[in-house]
Amino acid sequence: MSPDLATALRAETPTAPSGLRERVAIVAATPPRRRRSIAPRRWLLLVAPAAAAASVAVAVIVGLMSSSAPPGQVAQPPTPPGVMEQTPAPKARARLRAPVPVTSVGSKQEFRPATPAPSATRAQNVNATLRLLVDDNNDLSGTTQQALRTTRRLGGYVVAVDYGTPDTSEGAASLRLRIPVSRFQAAVVRFSALGQILAQQTQITDVQQRLDELTRQIRRAKGDKTKIAALRRERIRIGRRAAYATVALDLTTHEPAKEAAPPSRLDRAVSDAARVLTAELAIGAYALIVASPLLILLAAAFVGSRAYRRYADQRLLERA
Amino acid sequence: MPKVRIQVTPAAAVTYMECVSDVADAQQANFASITEAHLDDVYRYLLYMTANPSTAEDLTSETFERALARWTRFDARRGNARTWLCQIARSAALDHFRSEERRRRRELNVATREGATAVEIELPDEYGPVLRQALRTLTAADREVIALRIVLELDAQTAARVLGTSPSACTTRLNRALAKLEKKVRPRLVA
Repeated sequence: MSPDLATALRAETPTAPSGLRERVAIVAATPPRRRRSIAPRRWLLLVAPAAAAASVAVAVIVGLMSSSAPPGQVAQPPTPPGVMEQTPAPKARARLRAPVPVTSVGSKQEFRPATPAPSATRAQNVNATLRLLVDDNNDLSGTTQQALRTTRRLGGYVVAVDYGTPDTSEGAASLRLRIPVSRFQAAVVRFSALGQILAQQTQITDVQQRLDELTRQIRRAKGDKTKIAALRRERIRIGRRAAYATVALDLTTHEPAKEAAPPSRLDRAVSDAARVLTAELAIGAYALIVASPLLILLAAAFVGSRAYRRYADQRLLERA
Repeated sequence: MPKVRIQVTPAAAVTYMECVSDVADAQQANFASITEAHLDDVYRYLLYMTANPSTAEDLTSETFERALARWTRFDARRGNARTWLCQIARSAALDHFRSEERRRRRELNVATREGATAVEIELPDEYGPVLRQALRTLTAADREVIALRIVLELDAQTAARVLGTSPSACTTRLNRALAKLEKKVRPRLVA
């Protein structure tokens, strides 16, 4: 570029005429109009923190409200009619290693009200499940033998035994025992004393009605020997089954993980608030993913329109 | 939480109103001083863009009206007042060109039918030969970049910001425009 050209251009370019100065001075003297509108960027600066604060507030409120309610209780399955079940409460899972006098079978000292007593006058199917924790494999072996001896002493018999120690530190034994119903309570008490009770369940189903019905059918079926024989066989089978209680005794050396203490109200509030916040974030992320194609299109349209506008302006200036 | 009661006395209210009024007055004075400082720059820029003194005057006035309306949004940290005014002036000039083009298009058919010829704008006698040549032979795009870089002496970065382009593109455009102008006015400068 020639310096003369630049100098000439600067020198020859006139200043604003006095008429224009006066016009602009009048404009400048006019008090500016106060605009109440907020620029889009400022809107964004206001809306973004407000939305974040609102979502946090919702999470906190939900957390506080849900923490004030008592913790939900686990729904128990309904017990069928004629069946009486009992599962020990957590407190009953205390270590019951106190020695029980084996000789005094059926004595009042051994009676544990926690175990429901089968009826002495009615025929009932009695099933019990007992899960006990023992110290180690040596204790497991001794306890298993003790359980077998107890079964025999009480007049019962062993249906099945599954004993295993896959590891030197761990082992388990599963015993399926049949105990006379009259000695059922004594058996449960003695088995309970063999280790720490982890779980206990007793199920009693009344079959006396069925026996009475069979007796009535036998009386009615006079002369029909075949039918009478079948009914009698059925009655004997039910009666034999009701004479013995089935006890499933599981012994283990593996201590189950202790249940975590119920969370405090603050913990529950924080947990619920975090859950709500996570849900809000998930919803936001989902909305963003769903809307992202549209947003990309809008952004592309915006950028494209700006570029086209610049191009059009340039063309306009080149034509002018 | 203890409540704090604030009692506003009439005297305090008057003081507050005076403060608001003072701020408004200060803003007004500030705008007036900026107007005075950059009026010539805006006029020169628009004169180069339009190549028409009277249109440049109208657009200059309109530029300052628009600037006054947007004055509260002006942020000196994002650019100086001269750049800001040039951007407003450019927007006003582009609006003018668009409306002129629409008008010209409407009148083109009539002019063609009646055989009318384009009327050349009369430039004042006091304009120098280089300026006359620049205004008559260059396009508005060329004149604009010359006005920004040569007459207003803006650096490439600032000029590019006003033009909405990159500094290198701005420099390329300037060199092309100056080469075109130099070819026309070289004989006169040599003479």
